[in-house]
This record gives sequence, C-alpha cells and structure tokens, in this order.
Amino acid sequence: MSDNKHFKDRYDAVVIGGALAGCASALTLAKKGLDVLVVEQHNLPGGVATSFVRGGVEIEGSLHEMMSIGPKDCPLKIRKFFDEMGVDIEWLRVPEAYRFVDGEKGTDALIHPGTHGNFETPAHEIAQACGDRDGSIFHKVLDLLNLCNRVYESVNVLSVTKMSKPMMLLKHPDFVKTAGCSAKEVIDTFNLPETAVDILSAYWIYVGNIPENLPFTIYAVLMADYLGYGSYIPKKFSHEMSLKMAERAMEMGVQMEFGMRADKILVENGHVKGVRLSNGEEVRSDYVICSAYPDQAYTSMIEPADAVPEGALKFVNAKTLGVTCFSVVMLLDQSAEDLGIHDYSTFYAPKGMHLKEIFDEYGTEGPYNYITSICTNLANPSASPEGTCIYSITALPKPEAWLNVNEENYEEMTRRNAEYFIDQESERLGVNLRDHILEIVYETPVSVAHFTGAYRGSIYGYMHSMDDHIVARLQMSEKENYIQGLAFAGAHQISGDGMGPAVTNGRKAAKIILDMMEEDGKEGF
Amino acid sequence: MKVNGFLKDVGGASRVTKAREEKYQNASTVSNAYDPIGKTARLLHPGRIPMRVTEIRDAGKNAKTIRLSADHIPYFKAGQFMTVEIKDGESIAARPYSISSAPYETRGEHPYVEITVKKKNNGYISGFLLENAKEGDVYQCEVGLGEFHHDQIRDSRYITALAGGSGITPFVSMAKEIRSGRLNADLTILYGSVNADDIILKDELEHLVSDHVRVIHVLSGDNPEWTGEKGFLSAELIAKYAHDDSTFMICGPRAMHSYVKEQLEKLNIEKRRIRYDVPGQPEDISLSEGYPAAGKDQVFRLIVRQGIHKTVIPAKASESIAAALERAGLRIHTACRSGSCGVCRIKVISGDYYVNPENDGRRGADKDFNYVHACSTYPLSDLCIKLNI
Repeated sequence: MSDNKHFKDRYDAVVIGGALAGCASALTLAKKGLDVLVVEQHNLPGGVATSFVRGGVEIEGSLHEMMSIGPKDCPLKIRKFFDEMGVDIEWLRVPEAYRFVDGEKGTDALIHPGTHGNFETPAHEIAQACGDRDGSIFHKVLDLLNLCNRVYESVNVLSVTKMSKPMMLLKHPDFVKTAGCSAKEVIDTFNLPETAVDILSAYWIYVGNIPENLPFTIYAVLMADYLGYGSYIPKKFSHEMSLKMAERAMEMGVQMEFGMRADKILVENGHVKGVRLSNGEEVRSDYVICSAYPDQAYTSMIEPADAVPEGALKFVNAKTLGVTCFSVVMLLDQSAEDLGIHDYSTFYAPKGMHLKEIFDEYGTEGPYNYITSICTNLANPSASPEGTCIYSITALPKPEAWLNVNEENYEEMTRRNAEYFIDQESERLGVNLRDHILEIVYETPVSVAHFTGAYRGSIYGYMHSMDDHIVARLQMSEKENYIQGLAFAGAHQISGDGMGPAVTNGRKAAKIILDMMEEDGKEGF
Repeated sequence: MKVNGFLKDVGGASRVTKAREEKYQNASTVSNAYDPIGKTARLLHPGRIPMRVTEIRDAGKNAKTIRLSADHIPYFKAGQFMTVEIKDGESIAARPYSISSAPYETRGEHPYVEITVKKKNNGYISGFLLENAKEGDVYQCEVGLGEFHHDQIRDSRYITALAGGSGITPFVSMAKEIRSGRLNADLTILYGSVNADDIILKDELEHLVSDHVRVIHVLSGDNPEWTGEKGFLSAELIAKYAHDDSTFMICGPRAMHSYVKEQLEKLNIEKRRIRYDVPGQPEDISLSEGYPAAGKDQVFRLIVRQGIHKTVIPAKASESIAAALERAGLRIHTACRSGSCGVCRIKVISGDYYVNPENDGRRGADKDFNYVHACSTYPLSDLCIKLNI
C-alpha cells in the first residue's frame, strides 16, 4: 500500500459512520476549520435515512416525518442548523399530523397540526373526536399542549445554556416541575376522557416507549414540535437530506470514504490515537467520533481491549436497547385516491389502545397490533409515477423479539408479520392491498443490521425511560466520556431516536470533541 | 398559570438522576456483545466469499454446469444470481450468473451452488469461465443477489416462466425448490430455443417435471422432426399454457424481453403480474436511445480518485466505466451489471457521460450530484471520478 496511499498521515478528527449524526458531526467540525475524515461502511450516506429503487421507482427507506424543521418564516432547530451549514433541502410540509384509529373503541380521528406554536386546531379536533359539547375537553387538551410547549421551549433554551438551579426554577418552572414525571403521570392530572388520552398517546411509537414509562420531557418535546409546528419531508426522500449533508461536508474539505468500515479504535495511555480500517490501513487521529453503538465500541472495537474502563461496560450493561423496526414498503398499482387512501400518516390499534399489551407484544416474534402507515404521495404527489402510490406499514419491535431469527426461519418470520400488516390495513381501508402490489420490500431488524451495522438492528438507540431520563442523561453526561478523545454520535446518545435528534446528537458529539481538544490544550480551536 | 396539581416535588430532576445512577451502580461489568441479529445479517450477506470449483459437467451444446462449494453459503432465494470474480492478467472483473441449483442445496454437510454457463458470441467472461475453470480453482463469489425471485405475498402461486437460452437457469432453481417442498408454487416453464440441441439442462428439466412443474419446449428454428411447440413465445402460446392468474417471470436475451413484453401487452396482463430479470447491457451502446452520434470509437482519459490517491487509465467510449476500471485492474464492487442494484455507485467529479435510460436505476438526488452506477455509465469525454477505496 506504500505507493498507493489513500489517507493523509493524520486528521484532526475521524468520524466513524456517515449517517445523519456522523454527517452533522463532520459539518460542525469542518465549520470550525478542522481536517476531518468520515468512513462509512455502506456505499451511501444516511444510514437508515435513505431510499431505494425498485422497478425503476425510488421509494423512501424509513423517514415518516422530520421534526424541528418548521416553515421558512419560522425555522426550528434543525432547519436553522441546515441553513447555518449551507445545506439546502427542498422541504414539503406534511398536510396532517395523523389519523388515529382504534379498532376496538371505534375511535377515528384526523388531527392537523397548528402553526407557529398555536395548538387550537389539534385541540379542537381531539375534543371533537371525543364528543366535546361545552368546550371543556378542548380547554383541557389545549392546556396540556400549551404545557408541552413551555417545556419544549425550556428544553431548547437549556440544551444550549447552562443555568443555576434557582434560576432554572424561576425561568423554567414547568420544565423543572415535570422533570421527575412520566408522560402518563402528567396527562392524568388533566382528567381527560379516555378517548382523548388515546389520541394524545398515538405518537408514543416515535419515541419507542409507552406514556407510563416515558419521561414527560420527551413527550412534551414530541407533542409540541409536531402538533405546534407541523412536520416535513424532503422532496427527494431522506436520501436528499443525507446526500446533501455529505456533499456539503465534502465541499467544506471533509474526506468522506464510502464502502469503508472502521474495525478498531486505537487507544494509547487512555487517549485515542487513531483507527484501523477494514482494508487494514491505519489512520492517525487523536479524536474519534463513533456512530457504532457503545456496546460494539466497548466490547469489540477498542484496541487494546483493556483500555476500556469498567465504568464504560457498566454504562452499556445498564442501558436498555431501544426498538428496531419491521416495515412492509409497497409500490401499489393505483393512485392513493383510487385506492381510498386519504391520509399521509395513520396510527392504528386494531385491537384497542392497550399500550402495555401492545408493547409487550413488541417484545415477541409478532404479530404486532400497533401499526403506523405512511402514504408518501399524500405529502409528495410526484413521489411515484401517475397511477401508482407508495405505502408503508411499520411496527417497532424490541430487538429481543428477533433474537431467535436465523437464516432458515427469517423469510417465514418476515412473511408472517407482513401478511398480518397487509391484512389489517386492507380491512381498515376496505381495499385488498394484496391485489395491487407492484413492488414489495421488507425492512426487518436483520436488514437494518445488514445495511447499517447497528447493534441488534436497533434504530432507536437506548430506550427513553424513567430510569434513563433525558434530564438525568444531561446531568450525568460529562462523567460518561470514558476514553479521552472518544465521543459517540447516533440514536444511542442523549437526544435519542429520530432523524431530528440524530442531527442534534451529531452536533453534540462535535461539541464534546471540541471541548476535549481544549482540555488537551490544542491550540486554535 | 396553574399547574394541575402534578407537582410532586421540585426535586424530580434529582429523583430521576438518582434512579439512573443506581441502575449504573448495579450493572454488570462483563463485556457482552451478544448479537444474533447482526450474526444472521452477516450469514445472509457475507459479501465476497472464496468458493472452490468441486465439479464441472456438460449441460448441453457449448454449456457447462459449474459447482462451487464453501463451508457456509448464504441461504439465497430461488431465481437470484451470484457473481464470480475473474482475474485475467491485469484485469479483475465480476460477472453475474443466475444460480441453477436450489437454495436447499446450500444446507447440509456439503453446501454448494451451481451456475450453468453457455458460450455467447461476445461473452468474454463467460467464455473465460468455460475455457479456464477447472476443479480445485478458487473464485471470489457473492451469492444471493437480485430481486428476481418469487414473493409469496406479491405474486400469484402460479408462475409462468418465459425463458430463452441460458435464461432457463433461475427456473431450474425454482423447480428444484418446488420439488423439495420448500417453495409453495406451481411452475409452468415455456422455454424457447432455436434448435433442439440448443436446449441446455435438458435432462435436469425432464427429471424436475412433476404435479407442480411443467416444461414446454418451443423451437424457433427449422426442425422438421420436432413434434412439440414451434415458433416464438407468442401471445397464443402463452395463453394456451398459462394459468389465468399467473405471475409471468421473464429471463432471456434482451431481444426476447422486448418480444415477450409485446405479447403480454396483447394479452392485457396486469403490470404487477410481470417480472423481468435484469437485462444486462446492450452489445452496442451507441444504438441506445439518446446516445450522441459522434465519438463511439474514442478513447478517453479517466482520472480515478480513491481517497488522496490518483490514477489515470484509458476508457473506451464503447465500454462502461466499470469495464474500464476492471480492465485496468482497479477493483470495483459490481453485481447486477444492469444499472439497477447500485452497488457500483460512484461520483463523477468532472466530464460528460451517458447513462443508458433502459438501465438507469439511480436515485433522484444522486442524479443531481452526478452519482452514477458505473456498470451502465459510458464516458463521453475525459472524466474524473471518485471511486471507493
């Protein structure tokens, strides 16, 4: 290889993984003038934020809706970051928040988001679905959503500023008062009818835990962002977002290599010294941002293995892995209108909103009884050729549900779950989807593991829960950098799952590295 | 604003922090990365694996079946293809072959796959394998690729296969899998050849005929003694043999694809019931739609950037960028060779190029940033590309 050198002698930082978090890290570091190498094992950027082509038609791989974008005149956090970095994405607004259908109670509610943090529209629609006569339900729902919004605003301030506890209590009382509560505990204090609670719980699947064990802080951010500002998708699928981030990073001087895996993170005297790549080449750098799960890094990537402190192993063993995904993605041979599909996004509980049972079932091989469907064309009419539409059906099983999967039973497990999904949705829609399938793709924990290398195929990092609370994560974060020079970027970091949070996690990792550089006395950063 | 009485304590934050700290203190210090899901993913998609030729046998005129063995072979789907990497002098080139053995034959004590290769007029690589492959040779192979397979949810259980030439191979795999009871489908194969002695895998096909597998040979040449079906795979012939609710699967030369397409249109077959195998590249790219008239005999300078390394190689206008790289001994990961799977995605940094519109499986945003699939992209000027290391 001596006459065939592919890498510089040294980089200021190496980023392992070119998904959204890795790209956000690279952009942030490059903006500071650092010399950055990104290695991505797949031949595309984005991780699960990607698309694929079947039968000549491009199909979204995973994105349901992006949060924290907001309209041009009221940009939210992620749109602002992209603007600041010069990443110019064509965003399409998703028309509704969601349709919620409960097959047991018969609830069927179509909810639209408000704009600019006004929640009257969704509050009104939720109240109507509960048969609100005197406006009392409307007011309670509105109060809850406004509380969510105040907590959301506090989180946005507190994530970029440090503040004393008395000052925090003074300026962000709702945040402080709800920090120790689960979403259910807070929602219960509003004395809402059960149907309203069901509708207000529909988004739980986007954060991978049920309200009973979900920090209210996370619930508040989710509800305020989606219902107060609406959601967006990129016109050319999430691949547009991933590719534009990667291209912009390269334009800023980042070296980005696809089809290249980092096998080892080299450590000397407790400090990162470089990485060893899958082609055997070693690259020197004192700083590494790793997108692989800490479980993978601490158990098989750090070299030598005894450079991993006990605390790091406790850290990963104390964590509960977040959910993975099971999706059936189809190209159908008629337009959405002709098939009677009217909503972009639907949450469907065919056997009722028994969330505990539903979530327990997510821990089994299936079938799953909380499903979310997306018809891309209803937010992006030109997404597929005229007379066709793209329809996906998704559940988010826990990784342990698929631990018995092997080469021989994989197809059967996949087919059984896919058939159940298609039949449930066919019944709800009143059209036999099986008679309309032009193309079908199955996304499973195994295919996620294959394409992204994610530990056990998990796409949600570590589960948001009352014993791994975002507020606690923030308070303890400084103690959790176990190896000097190493930071992590991905759903497994503080902000957790989702494509918006992935970007935030990537920026945070870059910030950690910049702080470490300062501690190490590196000049000029 | 009144907070509805949920305020238990302002110490909520410390409570959750304490809960988290306790969980950490009680956690195990054992290094454990038990990941059967990742393991299954690697077993199904191991990438290139070395495979040894363990048997070569005749499969008809100018055709041989080559058996390749390895300790572990991924459990592919009947109808899929594999690639075999050939080294000839400087050049390294991988080519796709439909697998003619059945998925179940990758299980058991002596796992193997088989490909059946027929000599084509211009098939440099297929010719190379036919002439050079011998027992004991080791080739780098990638097994279980492509979307040409039966899907129990999408497709009818009645498959009508329309095959031509060596396009019979994926259907032999399906027939074997059906006979073994592992594929729940009913297969009618209409197999077009010119003359009787052009039929490949004839004996194997005969053995596979059963309640759920039928084989109808159709000869287009002048064969006075032939009592079977004659002519092409016409609408009339298809209507005669196909089940009313068939999924049609088509594999054969490009000319056959377009002929069969017309016939199926005549029969008003729904689009969702028609599936084509990847067609490969046309023999003469200059005849493809939109190819600029001038310049098909030119040779251009291709600058190849891999990381900070730079190489300059020649690239013929008549050959794909993938072929130019292979000729120069620069390995590029390819699979379908039809512009569809995208594993040979590269970035064109500068220069003009032509993409065959029939074989253009690129993503929309990729087109905007000059990412192309090297197997179906042809240089129209000097080029600079970024290739994976």
